[in-house]
Amino acid sequence: MTFRLNGTERTEEMEPNKTLCDFLHDEAGKTSVKKGCDTGECGACTVLLDDMPVTSCLVLAPQIDGRDVVTAEGLGTKSSPHPVQEAFVKQDAVQCGYCIPGMIVTLSWIYEHAPGATDPEIKRLMSGNLCRCTGYLQQIEALKTARKRA
Amino acid sequence: MKSFQYLAPIPGFDYVVPRNLSELFRTLEAQDRKTTIIAGGTDLLIALKERIVTPEVVVDLGRLRKELGGFSAGGGILRIGSLSTFSQIESSPQVARYANALRQAASNVGTLQIRSTATLGGNLATASPAADSAPPLIALGASVTLATGAGQRKVPVQSVFAGPKRNGLRPGEIVSSVEIPANEEVWSAWTRAAVRNENVLSTVSVAVASTVREGRFGPSRVALGAVAPTPILAVRASEAMTGAEATAERAEIVAALAAEDSKPISDIRASASYRRRLVSVLTRRLITQLLQEEAP
Repeated sequence: MTFRLNGTERTEEMEPNKTLCDFLHDEAGKTSVKKGCDTGECGACTVLLDDMPVTSCLVLAPQIDGRDVVTAEGLGTKSSPHPVQEAFVKQDAVQCGYCIPGMIVTLSWIYEHAPGATDPEIKRLMSGNLCRCTGYLQQIEALKTARKRA
Repeated sequence: MKSFQYLAPIPGFDYVVPRNLSELFRTLEAQDRKTTIIAGGTDLLIALKERIVTPEVVVDLGRLRKELGGFSAGGGILRIGSLSTFSQIESSPQVARYANALRQAASNVGTLQIRSTATLGGNLATASPAADSAPPLIALGASVTLATGAGQRKVPVQSVFAGPKRNGLRPGEIVSSVEIPANEEVWSAWTRAAVRNENVLSTVSVAVASTVREGRFGPSRVALGAVAPTPILAVRASEAMTGAEATAERAEIVAALAAEDSKPISDIRASASYRRRLVSVLTRRLITQLLQEEAP
């Protein structure tokens, strides 16, 4: 299977009965991809597939054949973070951190593709990312901070 | 680092990715082993993990997005390719123009993440009684094109549903596209009741398509989801609406008949009697909205 992962073209043998979540975390070393519920409910494993957020636990690894995958690692680096990543740090929008990479992926997508989204619309688009520390407001604030800096 | 395994690993299977439609049909026809098609995979992955489906071969439609995707309107028909995702349906201007009920349902399916991969064809072929795309399509009078290597046939949406999680497809057949009559005059809307607003199966869903002219309803259809073994056309409700005076009193009558047309069961989401009550409330709400918008 040939695919792009965080901007780099790769060709790899894949076990078809493995989820994309397990492949990215266990084989490709993208440990930002967290397995929470493994049933597409919690969003901790969210990655971009052809520039759309998907729960990678509901994707079979070989489904990425010919496609483009971006994890939180691919959005920005420590020295040049994505505006949403930067705003998360500034805003202290993190408690335990488990849900955060998935949150960042979804919010970066909202940042890029729904710049005019209002609060209720942002909440609707974020409904697939659960946070057990119940910290949703700081994260919406972080998105708004990122927007203001743009 | 190995991540923990909530469910036991999915048993192995062969994985085939056809490069074009003829390769797909050849692959499906040649199979004497237990074969499953994967489109978006959001339903299938759960079924694989829970061992509800145990295929020997999985056929991936991923390389057929051009042939089986996209939207086209012309000749009075809006055609939606079966691999169109709910996100694509949600943001399609043609769907907004001709099939508002479908747009509303698409934007309420699952979450952003689910809508980004789940496909219209997959939603139909999975044949859940709660499939949210079905009531809008039934109300809009849509047909579904099913295809094999030998040819294709066009069937009403209801024919794709044979029973709960059981589709009416023949061996080797795929859902190719959905065709909706493209008439800007037709008003349509969808609504549902569920235990929360997002990321949840519908407890009851209702779609209505109709027109109002000179104080009367034109051809009208009321369709219901999650209140029978398959999504259904509420026949008596639709008949009582078509051609009738467009009034609040008629809305009550149609809503009551829709509840009678439904055959709900009690399950973890709601009791049968509560579902029946929801059918009438949601139907009345939609027709009231129609009256406000089209016959103020």
